[in-house]
This record gives sequence, C-alpha cells and structure tokens, in this order.
Amino acid sequence: MSEQFEPNIVAFLCNWCSYAGADLAGTSRIQYPANIKIIRVMCSGRVNPLYVVNALQQGADGVLVSGCHPGDCHYMEGNFYARRRLKLLKELLEFTGVDPRRFNMSWVSASEGHKWKEVVEKAVEDARAAGPFDQFRRRQIGW
Amino acid sequence: MSAMLLHKEKWSEFTGKLSGKNLWAPAVQGEMKKFARVAEGQTVHLDEDNTTVPPKALVFPQTETLCRFSLGQTDLELPGLDEEMVLLGVRPCDARAMALVEKLFRWDFEDPYYLERRERTTLIGLACNEPDLNCFCSSVGGGPASPEGLDILMSDLGESYLLEDITEKGKALVEEFKDLLEEAPADAVKQKEQLVEDAVAKIKWNVDPEGIPEALPQLWEDPLWEKVSAACLGCGICTYLCPTCHCFDIQDEVEGPAGRRCRMWDSCMFAEYTKHTSGHNPRPTRRERTRNRINHKYSYFVDKFGVIACVGCGRCSNLCPVNIDLIDILRQVKAAR
Amino acid sequence: MDLDKLRKTAAEIVSRDDVKYLLGWRRGTFGYRVAPYFIEDAAGVDELIFSPLCISNLATYLTLVEKLPVPRGQEPDQRKVALLVKGCDSRAVAQLLVEKGIKREEVVVIGLPCPGMVDRELLAEKYPETEAAAEVKWDGEDFLLVGEGGETAIPRTEVLAEKCRLCRHPNPVISDLTIGEPVEPWATADDSGVAEIEAKETAERWAYWEEQFSKCIRCYSCRNACPLCYCEDCILDRLDPTWVNRAVNFSENTAFHLARAFHLAGRCIECGECERVCPAGIPLGKLNRKLARTVREEYGFEPGLDPEAEPFQAGYKPDDPEEFIL
Repeated sequence: MSEQFEPNIVAFLCNWCSYAGADLAGTSRIQYPANIKIIRVMCSGRVNPLYVVNALQQGADGVLVSGCHPGDCHYMEGNFYARRRLKLLKELLEFTGVDPRRFNMSWVSASEGHKWKEVVEKAVEDARAAGPFDQFRRRQIGW
Repeated sequence: MSAMLLHKEKWSEFTGKLSGKNLWAPAVQGEMKKFARVAEGQTVHLDEDNTTVPPKALVFPQTETLCRFSLGQTDLELPGLDEEMVLLGVRPCDARAMALVEKLFRWDFEDPYYLERRERTTLIGLACNEPDLNCFCSSVGGGPASPEGLDILMSDLGESYLLEDITEKGKALVEEFKDLLEEAPADAVKQKEQLVEDAVAKIKWNVDPEGIPEALPQLWEDPLWEKVSAACLGCGICTYLCPTCHCFDIQDEVEGPAGRRCRMWDSCMFAEYTKHTSGHNPRPTRRERTRNRINHKYSYFVDKFGVIACVGCGRCSNLCPVNIDLIDILRQVKAAR
Repeated sequence: MDLDKLRKTAAEIVSRDDVKYLLGWRRGTFGYRVAPYFIEDAAGVDELIFSPLCISNLATYLTLVEKLPVPRGQEPDQRKVALLVKGCDSRAVAQLLVEKGIKREEVVVIGLPCPGMVDRELLAEKYPETEAAAEVKWDGEDFLLVGEGGETAIPRTEVLAEKCRLCRHPNPVISDLTIGEPVEPWATADDSGVAEIEAKETAERWAYWEEQFSKCIRCYSCRNACPLCYCEDCILDRLDPTWVNRAVNFSENTAFHLARAFHLAGRCIECGECERVCPAGIPLGKLNRKLARTVREEYGFEPGLDPEAEPFQAGYKPDDPEEFIL
C-alpha cells in the first residue's frame, strides 16, 4: 500500500475556549493527529476570511477555525459574527470549486478536550479525502 | 526588401510549419481576445478585430521575475532566457508601439529583460484593411500598414497574402519558407498600396495632433482636466491595455525562506501611483492622473524622443466603461489652445 | 420618459444654492456610448438624457470623488450632491446610508423608475456602432434604435441587460422626488447563472472559475466601478501586510476575486457594474448573486432596501444557520 497522504491543516483557535480545549487535550494526554498547525487568535471573530484564503495559497490542505460555543464568547458576540462570515466563505469556496471538506469550523470549549480530538480527526480525515491542495497554491506558478 | 506572395490555400501549411517555432497568434477567450500559444501543427485564423490585450504583454509581461533569493544564500538566482518566439498577426499599431517603447528601455539605462526578450521575438504583422471604429493610427504617425517594429509585414489581398520582409530577421524567415512563396508581381504591391489608401479613408473618428505637444504645457492648470476626468473611475483599463504604456512597479514577494523580486505593470490612473511613503501624493485626484496620462503620451515622450507615444489603436477609447474618449480629450486640448 | 420634465427639474435642483452639482448622463462621444455627466449649472441640463443606454450606476461617484484636505482658513464645501437613480442605483444609495458611507443630508436623490436597460455590447454585436452618435428609446415593452439608418425596433429580450432580466426592484426604493410613473416589476428570469454552476461537480466548477480568473488583468475596474467598494485604504492596495500579492497569476487573481466577492456579501445590490466594466468579461455577477441568494434565502436579508437596516456582516442573530459547524 502506498504511503498515506498527510495533509497540512492550519487551525485558528480562539484564545479563551478552543485553544484551552486543545491545551486540555494535550495535558490529558489525549492522542490526536499531528497534522494540525495551531495559530492562536484572541477570538474566532478575529479570523479574517482572507486568512483562510491565504493559508490555502501558502500550502495548507485544509483550514479549521474553532471558537467558543454560541453564548460563551469571551467577548460576548465575536463567534456570532464569525459564524455568519465563515458560512458565507464556505459557500463561496464551494461555489468556486474548492472542495468544501477543506474548510471546517467548530465550537470547542475549554473543557472539551475529547471534542477537540474528534474535531481534529474529522478535519484531517476530510482534508485527506480531498487530497493535496494545489488549485491556487502560490508556489506552483513559476516562482 | 522583397515582396513575396503566399496563396491562401497554402496558409494552413504555412502556419502549421510556423507553429514549430513557438508561435503566438490572436485567440478568443470568452469576451477577451489576446495572443495565445499556437499548438504545434495547428492552423491560425486571422480576422479583422484587434486583440483586447496588446502583444506588449508577451514582450513586457504583466508580471516578470527579475531574480530569486533565499535565506542563507548570498547569490541571486536570475531567471533563464525565454524561448525565442514568433508573433503572427500583430497589428502595425501594436508593432509600432513596441518600437516606441524600445526607445525608452534603451534610454539612460539599457533594460536587459525587455531588450533580450524583444531581440528574441519575431513579429509578423498583418496590415489592416478594415480599421476599427476607434482606430486613428494614420493621425499619429503610423498607418494601417506601417512597417515600424515589424520583421515581416503581411497584407491580405483576398486570394493571397503579400509578405514583405522588413528586417534581416524577417528576411531569414521568408527565406526559410521560400518553397511556399512565390515572387509577387508588381501589381500586387500596387494593390496593397490601394488597400492602405482605402483603409486610411475609412478612418473617421480622429484628430490631427498638430500643435498638441506644444499646447499641453500651457494647459497645465486648464479647467478642461477637471471636465474630462470627472467621470473617470480610476481603473487601469486604459493604461494596462495600451500598447505603449510601460510604467511598472517592483515588488518583493516572500514566502517562507525564499522569495522573488518581480516587476509588474503599474498604472498612473491608480490612486496609489506615485504615492509617497509619507502618504503624500503629488497626483492626489483623477484630474492630475488623467492629465499625466495625456501629457506622458503627447508631451513628455515627444520632448525626450521626438515622437508621440500613442499609436492610435483606439483601445482606451473603446474599452473605457465611462466613455472617456482620447479623441475627445485631444479635441478639447486643441480647442483650449 | 418625459425628458423635458426631467431637464426642468434638474435645472431647478442644480440652481439651488445648497446643491454643488447634479449627476446624470449624457450622450457619449460616439456610437451607443453614454457618459456620466456632472452638471454644475442650469445651462448644462440641455445635454442631460435618460435612455435605455444609461446603465451606469452614478452612486459610485458619491464616494469616488476625492475629498481633499481643506486648506487652512477655508470652509469645507457643505453643498449637496444631486443624483439620478434607477431602481438598482437607489439601492446603492440606501446601502451607503446603512453603512454611513454618505449622510442623507449630503445627497438629493432623484428617482427614475426604470423599465430596463440595454446591454451596449449585445446591441453593438447585432447593430454595429458607427462614429455617429445613436440613440435608443423605450418603445412599450421593446426598444427603438434611432441612428443614421432611421429607426429600428428591437425586441426586448434581444438586448436587455442581464442584470435587468434578474431585476426585482425597478422602482427607486429611496428618493427625494420621483420623475415618471412607477413601472410594474416584471417576471424575473430564474437563470441567474448560479444554479447552473452549482449543478457542476467541484472539479468542473474550479475548471470554470480557473479559466475566468486567469483572464483577469487586475485593472480593478470592477472594484472602482462598484458603488459599494469605497474603502479609502483597500486591502488590495495594502503592502504591509500584503493580503494579495501584486503579481498577476491565477493564484493571486483567485485570492483577489474571493476577497472582492466576500467583501460584498450581504452588501451587493446587484447593479451589475462590476460585470459590465470588466474588459475580460469575467462573470463577476455570478459570485455576487450566489452570496446574495444565500443571504436572502438563509438569513432573510436583502441589502439596500432599508436605509435604517443593520449592516449584514456587522450583525447576527442567535439562531443564524450553523449546520456546517462541527
């Protein structure tokens, strides 16, 4: 059997819930795939949709954005804004022919180490199924 | 200069053979027409309309890598030379534009990127028998069969093409295709001259630029600039698609430990053109930018090189979404004089 | 269209002390061209027209015209700008008010119910342009071309602009005064081009858009012509950080077009200017309409109808759709 494709996934995690959730998964020694490269942001509402586009341009095979559950946002409503925006982004990506499995969004609270593991597994599985991303990678065009 | 005839029944054989030489010819892509690589063995179909994107895009690409660099390496990596190419069906105006732009790239600094590529390009022109609505090449020193910048000039005589070699490069190419060509009779050349005359007579929407280069410096603060630029959107259509516009910007693009320095087209119609680091812009509004565009072509270039940097292809007037018409501006300039 | 009444009203408005200029249209310099027209005094109204060729959206100029710093000791010009708006244009004005891009007291909005516009390129394809200026008129449902060769009747469906086929708001939604009788909204075509693309496989969709985005020369006419793209410091011009590289290739072009479409999500009023001005013929409207449809169908929001509305992306509802969230 040929070697399994290991996707690169960039994850934007909010400082207050999801990052702490991932941290909890770590301190609880919950095993989850190492394909995730975490970037900590203060709030999921801070994730500019262009971050996602840029990550894909620079070589990510998938992108994950994770924030607090609705109502739990440290800044009261940041994740509500993120939800609206990123849904539109997901639709736009899908419409232009980017595999929708490349972009995922999740709610993971600081106590959900196990959910974090599931989310990562799902994101990795999705990106793996979608294959290496080369549609609009910057590098392939005669740099 | 020799004149040869190419019968149209031999056209597909001619282009088929030519396609082995990295041949580029006009091709339609949706609403846009531009030069595209001709697959080997394929026949080229030439028609009346000029391309939306001028062939300058091949010699002076919109984005061009000047050098590459990477962390921990002191040497810069230079891009290799492009393959030699042949452009078929270049309009005389666009070829003349390349000859004009070359003056600039040879001026105080010889630009190796442009000149090398220009050197490695052979231009086979096609004279225009049917000028477009916005064409006015004959007003600005060119003509529907101007040989300037071309290596070979082709004229459509109906049954056949008349091929006239203009440069040594062109001569060599004609020599190579000798088998397909035959000596042109004297009346073929006469027929071509008649066609040129007819084509010039069809150009109606034009202006005589006499006096404009001298008038422009005096009209620097004239209210006409506000008037003609009021509707301008500040987009780059007129400049990007102009065959003589040659402004560029140089940027470094870095990703991870490596990057490249590249130059790309810039447009004097953009708000950030000549914007200083301080935030100050000597051309703060569309009035100054429009004025710059016209002055560059009809005054500054004339001062430096003695020739108007407009070849009358009419793209700016035709493609402007808000009808900012070069002919109209020039007429207003003449009226304000 | 009662042109005399329009000109008379325009002359009255432009003569007012509190009005700086009036934005209208005039016949272009040749062929079927029509140019935006800045009228500063009553004498200028003679050239003012409103015809099926007046397709451009003048609301763009409300934010496009540069506001230079006022020299010390001078008062800023507080006068209003008057403009003619069709149904779609008026939505741009309403949306600008929502976003506080303009203030209501800065503009005088003259509404013109619009029976539909002609796509100049379609028209020129069938009836080639000449250097002589020609005119197009409304003739009942259809159009009438008045040129050198006399009058030619043109069926509506032949040359109607795409945005007008899909138009749901032909009458101005906001105006200080309206000239002409309201028109009856027509049955809109349902082929907005979106469903057709959605029906394709992912790879086919990308093949389609890759070809489209590859054509882009990044002249930014779509951005500049858009009445709602008016950021003073556009991310596309930013160098630090560089959101989108200046290099023109399909990677950066894709990033640019995704950014442009996204920034108009929940804001685009479907005036079709981006698509009209594009020299490469990229169907930008399909991107906008796709997102507009999502916003309309899943969030029940349509921009540019209510000047008091909350901007779509600056708001939320606790029960917004979230079926896509893990």
